Amino acid sequence: MSMTATKMLARDWRGGELGVLVMALVLAVGVVSGISAFTTRLQNALEQESHRFLAADLVVTSGRELPLDWSRSASEKGLQHALTLQFPSMVYVGEESMALASVKAVTDGYPMRGEITYSTEPFGAVRSADTGPGKGEVWLDSRLFALLDVAVGDKVTIGDAQFSVAAAARTEPDQAASFYGYGPRVLMHYDDIPATGVVQPGSRVEYRQLYAGETAAIGEFQQWLEPQLRDGQRAVTVDEGQPRIGSALDRAESFLLLAGSLAVVLAGVAVALAARRFSERHHDYVAIIKSLGATSGTVNRLYGSSLMLLGVIATALGCLMGWGIQALFFSLFAEQLPIQPGPSGVRPYAIGAVTSLTCLFCFAWPPLRRLAHASPLRVLRRDLPMENRQAIYDYVLGLVAVTLLMWWYSGDWKLTLAVLAGLGLTAGLGFCLALTLLRGGRLVGMSAGSIWRLALAGLQRRGTANALQVVIFAMAIMMLLVLLLVRTSLIDEWQAQLPSDAPNHFMINIGPEDVQAIEQTLRAENITSEPFFPMIRGRIMTVKGEELPVTDDVEEGRRQREINFTWSDTLPHENRLVAGEWWQPGTEEALVSLEEEFAARMGLTVGDSVSFLVGSAPLEARVASIRQLQWQSMRPNFFLVFPPRLLVDYPATFMTSFHLDEADKGFLNRFIRRFPTVTVIEMDIVVEQIRTIINQVSAAINLVLVVILAAGALVLIAGVQASVDARVHESAILRALGASRRLILGGLLIEFATLGLFAGTLATLAAELSVYILQTMVMDMNYVPTPWLWPVGVFSGALVIGALGVFSCRRVVSTPPVTVLREL
Amino acid sequence: MIKCDNLQKRVPMAGAELAILKGITLEIKSGESVAIIGASGSGKSTLLGLLAGLDEATAGSVVIDGTDLGALSEDERARFRGQHIGFVFQSFQLLPALTALENVMLPLELQGQNNVEEQARHYLQRVGLQARTGHYPLQLSGGEQQRVALARAFASKPAILFADEPTGNLDTTTGEYIIDLLFELNREEGTTLVLVTHDQVLADLCQRRLRLDGGALVQE
Repeated sequence: MSMTATKMLARDWRGGELGVLVMALVLAVGVVSGISAFTTRLQNALEQESHRFLAADLVVTSGRELPLDWSRSASEKGLQHALTLQFPSMVYVGEESMALASVKAVTDGYPMRGEITYSTEPFGAVRSADTGPGKGEVWLDSRLFALLDVAVGDKVTIGDAQFSVAAAARTEPDQAASFYGYGPRVLMHYDDIPATGVVQPGSRVEYRQLYAGETAAIGEFQQWLEPQLRDGQRAVTVDEGQPRIGSALDRAESFLLLAGSLAVVLAGVAVALAARRFSERHHDYVAIIKSLGATSGTVNRLYGSSLMLLGVIATALGCLMGWGIQALFFSLFAEQLPIQPGPSGVRPYAIGAVTSLTCLFCFAWPPLRRLAHASPLRVLRRDLPMENRQAIYDYVLGLVAVTLLMWWYSGDWKLTLAVLAGLGLTAGLGFCLALTLLRGGRLVGMSAGSIWRLALAGLQRRGTANALQVVIFAMAIMMLLVLLLVRTSLIDEWQAQLPSDAPNHFMINIGPEDVQAIEQTLRAENITSEPFFPMIRGRIMTVKGEELPVTDDVEEGRRQREINFTWSDTLPHENRLVAGEWWQPGTEEALVSLEEEFAARMGLTVGDSVSFLVGSAPLEARVASIRQLQWQSMRPNFFLVFPPRLLVDYPATFMTSFHLDEADKGFLNRFIRRFPTVTVIEMDIVVEQIRTIINQVSAAINLVLVVILAAGALVLIAGVQASVDARVHESAILRALGASRRLILGGLLIEFATLGLFAGTLATLAAELSVYILQTMVMDMNYVPTPWLWPVGVFSGALVIGALGVFSCRRVVSTPPVTVLREL
Repeated sequence: MIKCDNLQKRVPMAGAELAILKGITLEIKSGESVAIIGASGSGKSTLLGLLAGLDEATAGSVVIDGTDLGALSEDERARFRGQHIGFVFQSFQLLPALTALENVMLPLELQGQNNVEEQARHYLQRVGLQARTGHYPLQLSGGEQQRVALARAFASKPAILFADEPTGNLDTTTGEYIIDLLFELNREEGTTLVLVTHDQVLADLCQRRLRLDGGALVQE
C-alpha cells in the first residue's frame, strides 16, 4: 500500500495543489520557527544585555560597609565577585586647581558583565577595557582634564594620596544610576581607598558587592542572601536596562509575533484550500479503489500516510528554512549586538512542528478524511454529488485551531483578538456583501458587451463559491495590508524619533547667568540645540493631603522622593495631553502637569492636590493636566511641569540637549574650559548604537514582510486554483464553439478582477479595523488613518487576482480544447 | 448464485420520490452470462450498482452466494467486492497516477495477496499488453486502456464480473476486439458475467437477456 501512496504523491505533484500544500506548510513552519528562534535568541541577548547595565548578575548595595564573608561565601558557591565604592570627593592638582568629583573605586574583577571604556586623551577615540585602573592610577572624566588643566601622566591628589592620571574615563556599564547626582567621574583602584583617608564612618558613600555566575547558582545565592539583608541593604538583580532600545525591540517583537501569527493563518488557509481541491480531484480515484474492494479504513490509511509523509518532508524543510531565517537575521545584526546571542534550543522548531501538525490535522485532514466516505457508485455515475455536507464543521475547527495557535504562539490575546476581529469582519460582511453584489451584477451585465456578459454570467453561476473565494482573497489581502501598515508606521516612528541630527549630548547644571552666553556659544559654533529648560529639584511629600511613606525601596512607586521639574507656559514639544487642559500663558494659579505613568504610580488624576518641598520651601499645586511623553526622543523630558510664575522664586539650573558630530568633539574641551560648572553628558555612543540596532530591526522586519508576502501569494494562488478546473472546462467548451482567445481571456480577466476588486475593498476595510485595534491596544502607538491604503488595497487586489486568474487558466487558450476536455 | 428479490430503488427528487427500480426479482446461476438491456434511463446502471454492492437498495434484497448484501456495512461490502466481484466500466476507470502494471496489481494488493506482480504481468500478457506495462493510462489508447481494465478485472479471479457498457467509448473494430477478449477470458476463468448494454449484438452473445423498461423487468 505504501508504494501506492508514494507513487500517488509523486504523480499528483503535477496537479499543483500538492505543491501549494507543501509550500504552505514549509512557509508556516519556516516563518514560525524562524521568528521564534530569532526572538528567543534576541531575548537571550537582551537579558544578558540588561545584566551588562548592572555590571553583574546580582548587586548588593548599602550606605555602610557590607559584610565581607558574603563575598567569601559566594566564592565557595563558585560565583565571581567584585566590590565598588562610590563617594564624592575633591580632586586637587597642586594648590591652585580643584574640582568636586564622583569617585568610584573598583576591584580587579570589575566589571563582570559589560566593559569599561576609556580613551587616551579627553573626548578621544573610545577603547574598551576588561578592568579599571591599576593601583596608584586614576582615570578622569574628560571634563576634569579641562577643569583641572591636567594631561595624561600628570599627578592628582585625592585626600592624602597622590595618583597618576592614566587615561580618560568614558563609560562604565552601571553608570546610569549616577546620572544626575554627583560631579564628573574619577575611577581608582579599590585597594587605594585606605591611603586616601577620605572614607570615614558617616561619609556619604555607596558600597556595592557585585556577583556573577550561572543563573541557578545566582538564584541560590540570592535566596541565601536575602534573609540576611538589614535596613539600608538592598539586593538588585536585572536593572531596567535601556528603555529606549527596549521599547523599540518590544514593538519589533510584537510585530514579528504578529507576522508569525499571520503566517500561521495564511498557511492554514492555503493548506485548507489545497487539501480541499486535492480531495475533490481524488473523489473519482477513491470511488475506483473502493469498487475494487478498498475499505474506508484502507482509504484513510492511504491518504493519512500520504499526508504524514508530506507533513514530515514539509516540517523538515520548514525547520531548515526557519534556521536559515534566524541565521540571516543574526547575520544582519551580528556586528551591532554587544553580546553573542545564546542558542535558541529546540523549542522554536518544536513550535514549528506543532504548527505543521495542527495545520495538517485541522486544515488538510478534514477534507481528505471525507474521501473515505466517497460513494463507490461514482464509478458508474460521475454526476453524483461529492460529500461536502460537513464543510461548515471544517471551518469552525479551522477557526478554533487558528485562534488557539495564534494565541499560543504570540502569548498575546489582544493581538489575537485584533487579527480575529479583522478576519471576522472580512468573513461575515464579505460573504453577505459579495453575495449581494454578485447577484446585482446580472442587471448591470445584461446590457454590457459580450465579454462582460460572459464574465458576469460566470460570476453569477457560481455565486456561493465566488463569495467564498472573495472572502479568502480578502483575508489574505487584509493580512498583508495589516502587516504593511504596521511595518510602515513602526519604521516611520522610529526614524522620526532618531533623525540623523537627533540630540546626542545633554548639558545640565547650567546656571541662570550662563544661559545666554552658552546659547551664543552654541550658535557661534553652528550647533543646534533644544530650548533651555529650567530644572528645579524638589521632593514630593503628600498626595491628596495624604503623606507619602518614607522608604529607600525604589521598587515602591508611592514614596517620598527627589524629582526634577521644570516650568513652561506652553506644552513642551512632542508632549501630548491625555487629560485636563493646558494652562493659560502667564497664569498665577498653583497648577502642575504630570506625566501619565508617574500620575498612575502616584494615584493622581486631574484636580487632585499634591505638595512638594523645594529646598526648605513648601510648594502645593493642583493637577491641571496629564501628558504622554516621547521617552524615545533624546530631548529633555520632565515628569512634572509647572507654570513659570509659580517657580520663579525657587532656585533653578537649566538643561538642554544638542547634536554634535563625532568630528566636532573637540568643541567640548574648549566649552568646558569656559563653563567649568556645566555638566556635559555624552550620549552619542548610545544614540549611535540605538540607531544601528533600529536600522537592523527595520531590515529584519522588511525581510519578514517579504516572507509573509510569499505566504499571502500562496493563498491567492491556492484560491485561484480552487476554481480553475470549472473555469477551464467552461472556457474549453466556449473555445470549441469558436470563441476567440481575446473573448475568453478578457472574460476571465474581468471575472477574476471583479472578484479581486470586491476582495480588495473588503480587505482594506478590515485592515483599517485590525490596525486600529493593533496600534491602540497592542503596539502602544497612535492610530493614524491611512487614506492612501484605499486605492492601493482595492486596485492591487483587482490587478493581482486578475493576473493570477488569467495566468492559471492560460492553458485553455494554448492547448487544443479537446485535450483540455479529455484531461478533466 | 445471485438472487434478487423485489429489489427497489427510490430517490428523493424535487420534494417527491422518484422510483428508479420498481421491484426486480431475478436469479442468475453460477457461470451464466446475462445481458441487462434497455433504453437510457430504464434503470440498467442502477440495477448493476445494486447487484454489485456499490449502492444500497431502498427495499428488497440482493443475495450473492448466500451473503445478503443489504445486511453488510459499506466496508464489509467493499471487502466482499474485493473477494468476489470484478468490474469493467464504460470509461475504463483506471487510476491515472499508476502505470498499467500497477493498475492491475492494485486489487491484488488490496486483497493482501503475494507475488502480485507476477500475476499482474500474466494477465497483461493475456490481453496482449506485455510491452506496455510501464505506460500510464494517458499514454494508452482507449482500446488499450480497456484491455488493462480487463486484465485488472480478471486478475483478482472474481466469481462474478460486472461490465457496464464495456464498448460504449470505443469504435466498432476496437469494441469487437474487446468483446472477443472479454468472452474468451470469461470462458477460461468460468466467471459469471453480468453485462449492461444497449448494444443488441453484444447482448445476443450472452446466454440470457433481461430487458428493463421504466424500472421493471419485461419478458424478452
